Amino acid sequence: MIQALALTKTYGQVRAVNEATFTASPGRVTGFLGLNGSGKTTTLRMLLGLIRATSGQALIKNRRYRDLKHPLRQVGAVLEQGLSHPGQTGRAHLATQALLARVDRSRVDPLLDRVGLAHAADRRTGDYSLGMRQRLSVATALLGDPEILVLDEPANGLDPEGVAWLRQLLRDHADAGGTVLISSHLLAELAQLIDDVVIIAGGRVVRESSLAELSAGGGRRLRVRGRDPRRLWYAFQDAGADVTTDGHALEVSGLSPEDVGEIAFHARVPLYELSSEAPNLEKVFLDLVSDR
Amino acid sequence: MIAVLRSEVHRSLTVRSGWISMAAIVLLGLTFGWFSVDFWSLLAELGAFAIAVMNTGQHYQHRTAVLLYLGQPRRLTALAAQALAAVVLATAVAVASGLAVLVTGAAHQFRSTLAVVPLMALYGVFNATVVRRPTWLFIGYAGWFIFIEGLVGKLELPLPISSFLKAGGGDYHSLLIFAGWTALAMVAAIVAVHRDLTSD
Repeated sequence: MIQALALTKTYGQVRAVNEATFTASPGRVTGFLGLNGSGKTTTLRMLLGLIRATSGQALIKNRRYRDLKHPLRQVGAVLEQGLSHPGQTGRAHLATQALLARVDRSRVDPLLDRVGLAHAADRRTGDYSLGMRQRLSVATALLGDPEILVLDEPANGLDPEGVAWLRQLLRDHADAGGTVLISSHLLAELAQLIDDVVIIAGGRVVRESSLAELSAGGGRRLRVRGRDPRRLWYAFQDAGADVTTDGHALEVSGLSPEDVGEIAFHARVPLYELSSEAPNLEKVFLDLVSDR
Repeated sequence: MIAVLRSEVHRSLTVRSGWISMAAIVLLGLTFGWFSVDFWSLLAELGAFAIAVMNTGQHYQHRTAVLLYLGQPRRLTALAAQALAAVVLATAVAVASGLAVLVTGAAHQFRSTLAVVPLMALYGVFNATVVRRPTWLFIGYAGWFIFIEGLVGKLELPLPISSFLKAGGGDYHSLLIFAGWTALAMVAAIVAVHRDLTSD
């Protein structure tokens, strides 16, 4: 479990992170979402002891990161874009990290294979593409077979196949009981993966909930097209709905499909289309962060 | 500490530019040691400084310090291991490069140089921990050496470079002065190593 308890970081007069409090639980993938500059990276670095918090506490398994025994065997982290010395080969990089983590170097080659870098194991990482460096970062994080994974924008540089691969890897990790905390500035990118969501804006956590709760809060919209849109508009409004239009159809929220059908029937307007749209999570996210 | 030490030594020996530089120092020392023991002393001492600065500074330059501190979050332990790794590598390079000097019979200069080399390695690690940019450090020290120690001090003032140059020739007093500078750099490094590692 990862816990941020009133984490605060100030740089001079600027509060980069302001009393951020949230939890990432075992068996779940927690998305840490915020626009660029919202304080995501600073918060993750405080969790990992790379940045000292001005106040508050960052706990991993109820301990500060620096107090963990063999931290690389408990927490794997993917930070920045492919951290490695460009003059080292991928295999040598992982061997160096294996020594640091006190894990068996025999794990290196299977890991390179697992992340799809076996063919490039003896190439210098400076010659790797961005996507390859990200895969090497993931291998570095997995080297100690940690229970907890912390990833900062890990999909940067990955192609669609790589993103799908990473998504499956993280899903499997959580399903096996691991804790995954992953940051991104794109909710749509994470919507297929995460169970819980923490949204940060202006350094403050503005929402912490399950994705299902966030989706329910977004409200369901109905797309309605009929012979007389104006009469339908007024009828729906009279019934208490919010009505907008995209120029082709009415977008109605606050009514069920059954209500819409009944109202249209009573208004004597034939319907040509009545469909339900999934809540637009990106819009929910942007609404939350733009209020700050 | 041992894990960091092993990891640092492995890293230094598997970074291509790193082992090529060390091999070049050994070859140069073996070649020129026949003709000038003073040249070998200077090469071994400056080589120790360069090895230490590159090994430490490149962690910040290439951001791998993040990986180091994730593996060893107690930064003083990490710093101690880095210092020890630099001492081991620099001393090994100095010994290997100085075999020709030993053969020529200049055992006294060999010993006095080997007394300075570990201190130079430590001095390099501590400086790189404070400055974090190898290039800035090298340029800064080049300027410092020319203008402050050379033009102003005439290499006579008890300043770092003047001290180690004399210490390499067997001047015990200068060795103590340089040890003092190294201790000062260590204090600065102990403070500086705790600075935040931001994403730049």
